[in-house]
Amino acid sequence: MWDQPIADFEKQNPGVKIIREIGPQSSTQLHDLITQKLKNRDTEMDLFVMDVIWPAEFASAGWAFPLDRFFSLAEQKQFLDAPIQANRYRGQVFGVPLFIDAGLLYYRKDLLEKYRMSPPRTWPELVEEAKTILTREKDPQLVGFSGQFKQYEGLICNMMEYILSNGGNLWDDKRMVSTLNQPNAVEAVRFVRDRIIGQIAHRGVLAYEEPESLVLFTEGKAVFHRNWPYAWNVANDPQRSKIAGKIGMIPLPSFPGGKGVAALGGWQLAISRFSKKSELAWRFVAFMTSHTMQKRITLSTGRAPTRVALYNDREVLDQLPQLESLWETFKQAVPRPTTPVYVPLSNIMQRYFSSVLALPDTDIDNRAALAARDMNRVLDLLREAPAR
Amino acid sequence: MKRAAMLGIFSVGIGVYCLLPYFWFALTSWKSPAELTAIPPKLIPSFHWDFYRSALEERGLLRYIANSIIVAGTATCITVAIGSVAAYALARFQLPWTRAYLLLLLAISMFPQIAIAGPVWNLLNHLDWLNTYRGVVAAYIALSLPLATWILTTFFREVPHEIEEAALIDGCSRFQAFYKIVLPISAPGIFTAALLVFINAWNEFFFALIVLTDPNLQTLPVGIALFPGEYTMPWGEIAAASTLATVPLIILTLLFQRGIVRGLAAGAVKG
Amino acid sequence: MRSSHRLAFLFLLPSLIFVGLFALYPIFESFRLSFYRLILTLPWLGQKMVGWENYVDLWTDPVAAESLRTTLFFVVTTIPLELGLGLAMALVMNEAFRGRGLLRAIVLIPWAIPTVVSSQMWRFVFNDRYGLFNFVLFGGDASRYLAPLADPTLAPMAIIVAEVWKTAPFVALIILAGLQTIPDELYEAAGIDGATAWQKFRHVTLPLLRPALLLALLFRTIDALRVFDLVFVMTQGGPADATNVLSFYGYKKIFAEGMVGYGSAIAVGVFLVSLILSLAYLRVLKASRLERTPR
Repeated sequence: MWDQPIADFEKQNPGVKIIREIGPQSSTQLHDLITQKLKNRDTEMDLFVMDVIWPAEFASAGWAFPLDRFFSLAEQKQFLDAPIQANRYRGQVFGVPLFIDAGLLYYRKDLLEKYRMSPPRTWPELVEEAKTILTREKDPQLVGFSGQFKQYEGLICNMMEYILSNGGNLWDDKRMVSTLNQPNAVEAVRFVRDRIIGQIAHRGVLAYEEPESLVLFTEGKAVFHRNWPYAWNVANDPQRSKIAGKIGMIPLPSFPGGKGVAALGGWQLAISRFSKKSELAWRFVAFMTSHTMQKRITLSTGRAPTRVALYNDREVLDQLPQLESLWETFKQAVPRPTTPVYVPLSNIMQRYFSSVLALPDTDIDNRAALAARDMNRVLDLLREAPAR
Repeated sequence: MKRAAMLGIFSVGIGVYCLLPYFWFALTSWKSPAELTAIPPKLIPSFHWDFYRSALEERGLLRYIANSIIVAGTATCITVAIGSVAAYALARFQLPWTRAYLLLLLAISMFPQIAIAGPVWNLLNHLDWLNTYRGVVAAYIALSLPLATWILTTFFREVPHEIEEAALIDGCSRFQAFYKIVLPISAPGIFTAALLVFINAWNEFFFALIVLTDPNLQTLPVGIALFPGEYTMPWGEIAAASTLATVPLIILTLLFQRGIVRGLAAGAVKG
Repeated sequence: MRSSHRLAFLFLLPSLIFVGLFALYPIFESFRLSFYRLILTLPWLGQKMVGWENYVDLWTDPVAAESLRTTLFFVVTTIPLELGLGLAMALVMNEAFRGRGLLRAIVLIPWAIPTVVSSQMWRFVFNDRYGLFNFVLFGGDASRYLAPLADPTLAPMAIIVAEVWKTAPFVALIILAGLQTIPDELYEAAGIDGATAWQKFRHVTLPLLRPALLLALLFRTIDALRVFDLVFVMTQGGPADATNVLSFYGYKKIFAEGMVGYGSAIAVGVFLVSLILSLAYLRVLKASRLERTPR
């Protein structure tokens, strides 16, 4: 995805060389690596990518360069709103969204058609359909569901999709208190533990990040799969997938009475505060996020663009018709709350979710209360913030 | 007969214990990408070099190895130099606080790395030595000095005094006595200490992780732990990189096993 | 006398500088920082002196308590396994037979492999789809494959296996050195008195091996308390914090969450536990002439 654009940029800007460094696959490990570089005031790194939850932390710590001087409000409006908001902190903008991700449900069209089922609209429906298919198929290697439940950031994305679609929330941004111990949230978590992991998923998902969970699906061993949009291309590629052409993709289900919620993901480009070449760096950022470049990247990789105009572009929609249906999902994707103390809060939530899911007889209410208490202590630190 | 058979069985058992996991992992590096993800796993690979090529070309494995050589090599040389001088003083000058100092060194070698990681990082930050060879080498010297000093002190204590005393009477300075007489005699001990320090420095991970974030400078352990992968866990490349990283070590170990064992157990049982 | 002392001091000076700067100073600095509240991502909070607050939090922190339990469990399980296996291996290697040198060299290999490499290796062995562990247990029947690194009960076991694999050989070598200093005459004398192999072991070998065993015990305990590399590569502390050892918890707090004050308190805590255990061992070892026993 990067090689061609880098080559083009270098051709257009003779004398400039872009050096690309690939980090570890796990978002959490990548975060620790990039923040370590920034703490070390590494001047070698001019640009870096940010996961959608990092901007506030990086802005507050003084690691990301404020981009308002380059990235005007008018220009920001050309992009989807949710990612832009995720990149703003205290009135300034710190990143430019490269592509957007939102959680989606993938399913085996062939299996659902075989048993004359329509794609599920609610989680309980999904569990029932999976159970029926598993019983009838009699394939000991087939599982009902594959998702990301390892103790890392992706776990938060998966869990918030259940919690929010049940009317609950991770924490209340206005009052700055945790809402993990509210009944809606606890109920959703209990459902995941008892029905999803307990009944239709293989216990191995508790150690899965995106790659492992996707491989289970593309090898034809899972009926339903939750992942980001990139999985569509991989699963439909006959070279990499045994189920090419047999899959469907829909917005995630909800709980009865709630609305399906997709976690907002995606990556942004940011400039390091310690870079000595911020102007030049911006030129590359502008280049990578320009209309032409985004269109080209979307067409070649299938990753969803962040510029609004591209969702009405005939050429794009012809080749990637699914983007039309994803438009609503993207517009309504819910970001995780932006705060400089996101990492400690995330660690507390990861700990809570992972313990509860992995140990079937834990007292969920108790754990939720403890997690909420710990989160509140961290959130309290923000109350001392100097008024802006 | 029975004894020989039992010994044989146990020996093979020990051999399998030590080598099986490693060989299985190394064999993985020669599989083709399709064989890698085959379920159930294939035991014998067909000899593909894809992963090696990928590890070397795309992941810059050689750069990691070069960095490790530079860092471990420099740290070893300086540590042995400083340590041997100190050990000589401890072995020869009847200082009243020798025992206390050696115990202090022992205590320091037991610090959990986390206990000093933050401030060491801070210190290197102030000196502007973060992301430099000298920063991580300085940390390694401090971490290896206890081990080196202990081993060298033990070896020096065993060198007979007579030759030195003769030289001193003849008008040599202490330092000359050390340099020209004691050092050459203790060459095996010094070599052993150097080898152990080198291996320790080569394998060190924690400080390399927090001090070296520039991939041009990162050492091998960091490279292998943070193995990059955009979409998948690159097991094949990791296996290839690991095999490449360890074959030299294994050769070194096999060649110098007598010395290593002696050094490790030096003084552990001898008084 | 004075001038030789001064000369000695010069000889020791470089060592003292490094050790003072990179070992002694940091430990004091960690102590100092543990009394402050310092959060790197909230620089506007500044460095606030909070006295014992971090320690009180540490004392009441369930995650820290769990982490301590996990770490101690790790120590208490790996040490006996290493000592037992190491002793067994040493006894075999002590017998004179052809190929003994080769066996000794092979035994050094796990020790020589960098910890991160062996961590990746074991992570692959325990993989839930292509791992050797599953293959050995269940053959080709992939539907019964386990996921040890995803299970809070099995994951710590996996880490323990990886650790013992690497360190039992090292312990074996230390014990072997000890075995080789036991004079043959003692065994012969015992044999003449009609002792069985087991009795020889109990009454000749074990007592004379005590110093080497205790030394191995001391060093291995300290090393087990500060395990980090294995956890970082194999499990990153999970699942459900089942492998969240103290060193890893401290690392996350300081380097990932930026909570330097609290992380320093954890660091000091680990240091104190190590120190207490070391002092306890040293008292037991006092009988054996410790001052001459390096690693």
